[in-house]
Amino acid sequence: MPCVMECPVVVLKEVAPSHCLLTVRAPEIAREARPGQFAMLLVADGLAPFLRRPFSFSRIYQDSVGFLIKVGGQGTRLLAQCQPGQTISVQGPLGNGFNIDPARERHIIVAGGMGVAPCPALAEGLVRVCGKAPEVIIGARTADLILCERDFREMGCTVHIVTDDGSAGEKGAAAHILDHLSPQKGDMIYACGPMPMLASISLVAEARGVDCQVSLEANMACGDGACLGCVVESRYETEGEKMVRVCKDGPVFDSKVIDWTIHNLAYDPAMDKGR
Amino acid sequence: MANLQINLGGLVMKNPVTVASGTFGYGQEYNDYFDIARLGAVTTKSLTLKPRAGNKPPRIYETPAGMLNAIGLQNVGLDVYLEQKLPFLRSKGVPIIANIYGHGPEEYAEMARKLEAAGGADAFEANLSCPNVHDARNVKGAALVSQSPELVAEYTKIIRSATKLPLYVKLSPNVANICEPALAAQEGGADAVSLINTLLGMAIDPETRRPRLKNIVGGLSGPAIRPVALKMVWDAARVLKVPIIAMGGICNASDAIQFFLAGATAVAAGCISFRTPDAAAQMVDGIAAYCERHGAADVKELIGAMEL
Repeated sequence: MPCVMECPVVVLKEVAPSHCLLTVRAPEIAREARPGQFAMLLVADGLAPFLRRPFSFSRIYQDSVGFLIKVGGQGTRLLAQCQPGQTISVQGPLGNGFNIDPARERHIIVAGGMGVAPCPALAEGLVRVCGKAPEVIIGARTADLILCERDFREMGCTVHIVTDDGSAGEKGAAAHILDHLSPQKGDMIYACGPMPMLASISLVAEARGVDCQVSLEANMACGDGACLGCVVESRYETEGEKMVRVCKDGPVFDSKVIDWTIHNLAYDPAMDKGR
Repeated sequence: MANLQINLGGLVMKNPVTVASGTFGYGQEYNDYFDIARLGAVTTKSLTLKPRAGNKPPRIYETPAGMLNAIGLQNVGLDVYLEQKLPFLRSKGVPIIANIYGHGPEEYAEMARKLEAAGGADAFEANLSCPNVHDARNVKGAALVSQSPELVAEYTKIIRSATKLPLYVKLSPNVANICEPALAAQEGGADAVSLINTLLGMAIDPETRRPRLKNIVGGLSGPAIRPVALKMVWDAARVLKVPIIAMGGICNASDAIQFFLAGATAVAAGCISFRTPDAAAQMVDGIAAYCERHGAADVKELIGAMEL
């Protein structure tokens, strides 16, 4: 059951330019949190910014949880100024989390940009439940934005790097790398990143008949399924089911549930065949 | 301990605090954080006869001390509400104010009849003021029913004739004089008036030059609109005989007290519940503490008690 706790900051460290990992002591939340779930963090005591900000659990420890934060807007700038010992109001755990099935043959995580945020916790969960480390594809615009690579390697994961400009690993799209890893029916793909990347990953998964879970990101006001602000369009056709809530029905969805046709593709496997 | 009980146009509430429609789902969403039976009443998300998908995303955008929304009345529809949402609310024993939205007055009336027959409501709040749906049948030179006093009176009268339960009418602040639609609702037979719905607003991303909301415009809510709401409640309270349910950026007991002093009988916590899930319950405790501190034996002593 989610709760709201005042949580002391344990450590805040910069992990890349404008990116930091915020760890807070939150035993009650850590005990219940599962990979893929998230928390809503209050960034200011005053009324501006007014709303909490959603962050997925990057790490889930025994008494604490870690959030990967990209410093961009006003809210994240305030979070990045936290001092150890200062408390932050944390509401969670929220959302459904990833479904981890040890019967799957291969487990492949695809993380694009900030989509890497929930993936260290997921990889850790997979190691714990399945007894073997997943394969991980990390995609980013440039080399300095490759996040969490060391965390994955320390867990024993095989890591594939891909960047838009080729400044690290291969040059190209994460979905392209995934396609070339040849996942098959019986495997499981876990993907988190920008919508065009997820649309492409979903297409690759569908073409290969592989199940795929995608974790989505959205602006949200409540995190509890009440405000209906964070919806995305699903493939369900009835009026009552068309819009699914990222916060409550997700953030993790079976990729087949989402209507990808309205999103651009970062990579089109059909075009690749002709190359 | 001061008496907090009020009678809101025929509905007895153990305290004067409810929640603003659309900020509290169907109640269950918040029961993880506090016992929602502590509230005077729960006001549901706007219900429509048939399920509605609502507007396309993005639907919300945060603004200084508030937020814009253009949800577009996404809801499960009357039947699913009765089957899946009502049993939990009834199990809590908390009074239910069912917020309803229809295409034309007859549909509101049909919903009121059905909900009353199924025991799905203890009072109705007719949403005559949603800024985010584009319903051609409602337009008679006014974008919202609520912007035409004639339409407000007509709708209220027709819904009134369909139910014996208390009927509240929720009005839009997007008018020149709030007293006109408020009086029209009273003339139509409303037992109370809910003030205010959201203020129309918008935001643009200067980099992409696109609107922040897919719907382009939306409704502004939150503490940013509180002074506007307070002034409208004060205006309306001086001309109305029926009670007022106040909403519009009310975040805590201190805010709530201002609305009582301006003339409201009940208050609703709105989007503050998004930030502080148990804000409405804290408001109940805070109002009791205020009464204690100010020697008020009954919360009703505060209604319209602003001193000049």
